[in-house]
Amino acid sequence: MSNLSIDELIDDLAGDLAPVRPRRVARGSLWVAAGWGAGAAALFWLSGVRHDLAGGIMMPPLPLLAFWLVVALGFAAAWSALRMGLPGVGRDYSGWRWAGLAALALPLSALVMALGDGHAAMEAARPENGLGCMVEGVFAGLGVGAALFAWLKAGAPTSPARAGWVIGIAAGAAGATIVALHCASNDMIHIALWHGLAVALSGIAGRVLLTPLLRW
Amino acid sequence: MSIDEPSLAHLMAASQRGDRAAYRALLTDSRKWLERYFARRIAPAQIDDLVQETLVSMHRKLATWDSARPFLPWLAAIARYRWIDMLRRQRDEAELGDNDAAVGAEDEAVHARLSLDRMLGLLPAGQAQAITLVKIEGASIAEASQICGQSESLVKVNIHRGLKKLAGLIESE
Repeated sequence: MSNLSIDELIDDLAGDLAPVRPRRVARGSLWVAAGWGAGAAALFWLSGVRHDLAGGIMMPPLPLLAFWLVVALGFAAAWSALRMGLPGVGRDYSGWRWAGLAALALPLSALVMALGDGHAAMEAARPENGLGCMVEGVFAGLGVGAALFAWLKAGAPTSPARAGWVIGIAAGAAGATIVALHCASNDMIHIALWHGLAVALSGIAGRVLLTPLLRW
Repeated sequence: MSIDEPSLAHLMAASQRGDRAAYRALLTDSRKWLERYFARRIAPAQIDDLVQETLVSMHRKLATWDSARPFLPWLAAIARYRWIDMLRRQRDEAELGDNDAAVGAEDEAVHARLSLDRMLGLLPAGQAQAITLVKIEGASIAEASQICGQSESLVKVNIHRGLKKLAGLIESE
């Protein structure tokens, strides 16, 4: 009887079949690029680009290095999230972890600097000197977060919890890169703490808020 | 028919293009593969349910297979997800207890039920009974099977068919 029922189910499913357009990571990448651009356009329209960059002056080396580290984290996390939408046993989604480990150099170097100048660290840690950057970073990353969520919602992530984390980290890293082009501070403690908190908070929000929505 | 990767990948590619005969063959082969896969992981009585759930998931996620990659790792990933999901549901049911699972909101639930009763009246009796027991009253598949005298697999098929018809009815309203 059960064999007959599965046969019937197969007949039903075959009868339901309609042509599908295979999902391509390249197409998802365009969504993410659009989300990144939208977040940047929104923040720059509301708050403007940092004045030194607008004047053609390059960032100092350390903030520039921090910027590219966070860009790498955002790219790696977004790429991993896109690949999670196309499941396969044995596929490796861990590229973002290596970029994340590299990005840990930021808080570590900030910690070393803070140990050397406690007063400056206390000043940088005051909320009025950075809370705005963190909030802007979280909101600027929403475009990337929305694009990745839409991609994975229509895909088949086999670990919704991990997908939630990675979406959040990608969104936060995207937001942090956008904020780095708006916030004029070159203080590494400020960058590591407040811009880094945008990444961490977005990651936690992705894990908590998105995981239940990604189950299928 | 042997289940080999190139044949399955070929059938899957044809299925994505809408070839129903290829899809039926793919589902039949996938079913055999899944029965073997789950045989080493769950109680024999649960295999049919899990195979059906996995076939339905496979159907819903057809577009997520990349033709540049092999088919069986894709199928295995979906099977493993459904297996873990079933284990989690069993755990949650054990933690909740039967009575907690079916508690609904007061007025909204009554109104929804009235509307749904009318819709269920448009379905064949077996499908309406299976949906009522499992989806509305919160019974397990096994309990519904005992109550209505259908096999567990038939209850699942009736739910699948009934919900499909209900969706069509609701859309046409």
